[in-house]
Amino acid sequence: MSEIKVGKYIVLTDRLYTETDEWVKIEGDIAIVGITDYAQKKLRDIVGIELPQIQKEVKAGEPVGVVESVKAAADIFSPLSGIIIEVNQALVEHPETINKDPYGNGWIFKLKITDPNEKEKLLSPEKYIDKIKGG
Amino acid sequence: MFVSPLYDLEEKIGANFGEFAGWQMPMSFSGYIEEHMAVRTGVAYFNLSHMGRLRIKGNLKELETLIAKEISSAKSGEMIGPTAFLNDKGGFLDDVMAYKISSDECLIVTNAVNREKIIKWIISNSSLDVEDLTFKYIMIAIQGRKIEDILGKIELKPLEFKINTKFLNYDVFLVSRSGWTGENGLEIWATVEIGKQLVSDLLKLGIKPAGLIARDSLRQEMGFVLYGEDINENTTPIEARYWVFSLNKDFIGKDAIIEQLKNGISKIRIGFKMKKGERIIPRHSSKIFSVGNEVGYVTSSIYSPYLNRVIGMGYINPKYFFLGYNLSVDIRGKHYDIKIDEFPFI
Repeated sequence: MSEIKVGKYIVLTDRLYTETDEWVKIEGDIAIVGITDYAQKKLRDIVGIELPQIQKEVKAGEPVGVVESVKAAADIFSPLSGIIIEVNQALVEHPETINKDPYGNGWIFKLKITDPNEKEKLLSPEKYIDKIKGG
Repeated sequence: MFVSPLYDLEEKIGANFGEFAGWQMPMSFSGYIEEHMAVRTGVAYFNLSHMGRLRIKGNLKELETLIAKEISSAKSGEMIGPTAFLNDKGGFLDDVMAYKISSDECLIVTNAVNREKIIKWIISNSSLDVEDLTFKYIMIAIQGRKIEDILGKIELKPLEFKINTKFLNYDVFLVSRSGWTGENGLEIWATVEIGKQLVSDLLKLGIKPAGLIARDSLRQEMGFVLYGEDINENTTPIEARYWVFSLNKDFIGKDAIIEQLKNGISKIRIGFKMKKGERIIPRHSSKIFSVGNEVGYVTSSIYSPYLNRVIGMGYINPKYFFLGYNLSVDIRGKHYDIKIDEFPFI
């Protein structure tokens, strides 16, 4: 895994991204999802989270949870269609982990992918870099 | 957009900037929770150079009719405040701090957003001379429970100030024993050049930089209001329970205040706490309910790092103002319990 710095934001090359600033790491038919370094920096201090519902079947682009920051409440969207199989319960007590380690311990949920073709619609690290450069 | 003279220095030490009242100001450095706790358990400094600072000269009896607290009875070297400029309906034009230098000279600190409005208000309602010092000096606050451990004993009593004095061997324009965090502290005005050196020295002494988000969370724990969020031209001191006036003298807005004291008010500011563990934050204008009935709205809310729970304030119909009573707040269509509590929260 390598990381690319875009101004003060970090983008990792071993995962895919969404237009709504989630990252997705795909391992077989499981997708691990969190919000990007860019998203957490824009939101500033994260003080709360509503985690997705386990076992829930979700569609790509559907809001599944909420991140509460001092600045705003931001929806977390599912990047792919699938079934929520695990959530990062530790974030309920320590939501600030998303600020400290957005790509690691700040992961938010895991999804069992039901439509692998949707991966094509996600942004490559290069495309995500273009997006945050623009915004 | 105005940029504070401390911008370059604060950028180097990791400031996360944001816009506040037309100024590019540091919102946070290491994160507001850490900065907030630095004030409650140690010491931090805040850059407040965006705040409006005015020097008023002339017959202060004229100012007396424009401002809600008594100026003439105060001693020179004492702060009169917080006080306010009110409109004739008793609504806040601004809440300010006033510093009496002498019988014909006074300093006023306004909210950044109201600086120009207050200058115009004073000029159009008096023959007082108003000099805007905002861009001449930087302003910082040094706040925290352990300030005397680092800077030594503070000789000034609360709300006392000195002008043209020394601070850490620097010639500064003003040092006052005041602040907006509820902790022991000082506020200092200095020229830009001295201000930069002073901040560098404070950092070397281990004083942490803190941003405007921590200032906001600290003032909310104390139940202090923020202009534009919790008070505005349609809110009176009675409704806000903000005792910034004296009925022993005449001032613009007094009649409206007396009318409210005689006949009552239609809204009152409350403080509330959410349940422990509820990490959901009501936003400005979120509606407040009593058993399903809409009775008010939220004006400020934040996660309190000290109490480890969400706190806030808002206005409700006074008929429902029972301390300890549970109301609810609508957040994204769901209702969450809030308990009415008294200020300060800590």
